[in-house]
Amino acid sequence: MKLKSLAAVALVALAGAFASACGSSSPAASSSGSGSGSTTSSGSAVSCSPSAIQSYLYQKGQLTVATDSPAYWPWFYKNNPSDGVGYESAVAYGVAAQLGFKRSQVHWVVEPFDSSYAPGPKHFDFDVNEISVTPERASEVTFSTSYYDVQQALVVLKGTPIVTKHTPADLKQYVFGDQVGTTSLTFINSKIQPTHTPAVFNTLNDVKAALAAHRIAAFVTDTPTAQYIASSEIPHSEMLAQFPSTGEHYGLLFQKGDKLAVCVDHAIAKLKADGFLAKQTKKYLKLYTSVPTIKP
Amino acid sequence: MSGSGSRRAGRSSGRSPAPGSGVLVPGGPPLPVAGDDPGGLRELELGSRRRSRLFNTPRRAVAASTVSTIIVVAALVVLFMLAPGSANVRHQFFDLQAMWASFKGDPRQGFYSVGKAILVNIEMFCLAEVLILILALVVALIRLSRSPVLFPIRVVTVAYVDFFRGVPLIMVIYAIGFGLPALNLTFVSSQSAFVYGTASLVLAYSAYVSEVYRAGLYSVPLSQVAAARSLGLRSSTAMRYVVLPQAIRTIIPPLLNDFIGLQKDTALVAVLGTVIEANRASQIYASYAFNFSSYTVAALLFLILTIPLARMLDRTIARDRARRLAGADT
Repeated sequence: MKLKSLAAVALVALAGAFASACGSSSPAASSSGSGSGSTTSSGSAVSCSPSAIQSYLYQKGQLTVATDSPAYWPWFYKNNPSDGVGYESAVAYGVAAQLGFKRSQVHWVVEPFDSSYAPGPKHFDFDVNEISVTPERASEVTFSTSYYDVQQALVVLKGTPIVTKHTPADLKQYVFGDQVGTTSLTFINSKIQPTHTPAVFNTLNDVKAALAAHRIAAFVTDTPTAQYIASSEIPHSEMLAQFPSTGEHYGLLFQKGDKLAVCVDHAIAKLKADGFLAKQTKKYLKLYTSVPTIKP
Repeated sequence: MSGSGSRRAGRSSGRSPAPGSGVLVPGGPPLPVAGDDPGGLRELELGSRRRSRLFNTPRRAVAASTVSTIIVVAALVVLFMLAPGSANVRHQFFDLQAMWASFKGDPRQGFYSVGKAILVNIEMFCLAEVLILILALVVALIRLSRSPVLFPIRVVTVAYVDFFRGVPLIMVIYAIGFGLPALNLTFVSSQSAFVYGTASLVLAYSAYVSEVYRAGLYSVPLSQVAAARSLGLRSSTAMRYVVLPQAIRTIIPPLLNDFIGLQKDTALVAVLGTVIEANRASQIYASYAFNFSSYTVAALLFLILTIPLARMLDRTIARDRARRLAGADT
């Protein structure tokens, strides 16, 4: 067994040395990749009968749902996605129920954001990880329709200048921070347009440390995350305000052209129509609907 | 034939063969003895001549190596192109449009130029390397000193090297980049992330490089020091003019090795946020476009930096070796 894995590692390393100039590739994983670039998600020809859904699944008989670890409140509760508590966990179970899965048939896996869009076959049916839908991203993966409309918000330290001075002109002079890979950076650069280059951190924990150490004046993230972090993660911090909506929204991430996405879109439409999403929003994200809005 | 052989053998019996004459074997040609061919050089030469008989003209040798290189490279390319997921991987890693877009960058869209970001890496490792070469030498010299007065400093340097070689670099960067600013000290806590990152690199790499220096200094034979001292040089002068030049010549390859490692480790400084270097710029583009071609751009830029350096070093080593061998001949 040990020899086998050693041989596999050697082989992959060898193949990797030739196949790509980039260290982060995994040619072995992508060797069976789907070269099909066909976009099926728009077709109404896709069947969503229980047997058809079974044929779209990553693993027969179960719905494999992915998210990153750690998973944060209010999206998940205590890094445990399988308890159905937290907005995204509730949405995932709501979608699963609409597709005809029992709770016990929902299987959670960990998928870091950076690998969720890597080439090659996905190891999940869909990924629910506060991923913003953009046209660029949508050309590489398939997204569901919106399950949450996002606004960006500011987390600041109490008593710092930004608390009182935050007109659009004032905002330009501060150093902003965000987590790498989020659309917050696009928001900062395109809407706030600060004079200092924003700081981009690996994890939320790093952003928190930077704010606490006064390395950045404010931290930009979605309103629910901002509220949670300000209220319980960083001492002496507060959520200053949120910015107006730019039409940004979160979607579930699928393998490009995955037919299951069509069925999930139907499911989300039903969850919207019957008030399920509104109920979950009220339950988990109610705090965040009455937040002051400022202009970037 | 056999008679003449036995006659010769008979004649040489009881006498040791004269140096350089070879050992006579009955009925056979004289065998070379050790004293005949110092270092077995002639034998080596003979071997290489025998081996190259197949390609006995330079032109043939070049042709053969060209053909074999083309075949090997072509086979690898074909293998890559024929893999089931090849189109997918080529699009994700080698998409020319994406590579160009990430090279140029577009901050308004939310991603930075990888081409500009590599300049941050260059600035960082050039600055760090100069400081490392100095600090590491100081540490090595202190460790090698034998003065009893310097004992406490020696202990400190040993602890320093042990600590910074053992702790992962990323933790050093975190500790300095997030720890020092949080201390709220006047000067130390108000530096930029660039300074903290570069300082971390200097601290970590100096520990490694000081050991390289130490090995180099030990490699100079003690007789060299003795000779220098007997000429009346003071020990510091002997170190400066006799030991160090010889030691440094020996350790240039490992020093360059560490330098290349340093170049790539500058990417780790990105965890401090405000340092947008090539790897971080690539990561931002990748998450913007969900395409990894930006990492390929960064990899190519790093290669452009390191390959000429490696070739230059090969040339230096070859020249140095030729000079030393020439010296040994006389």
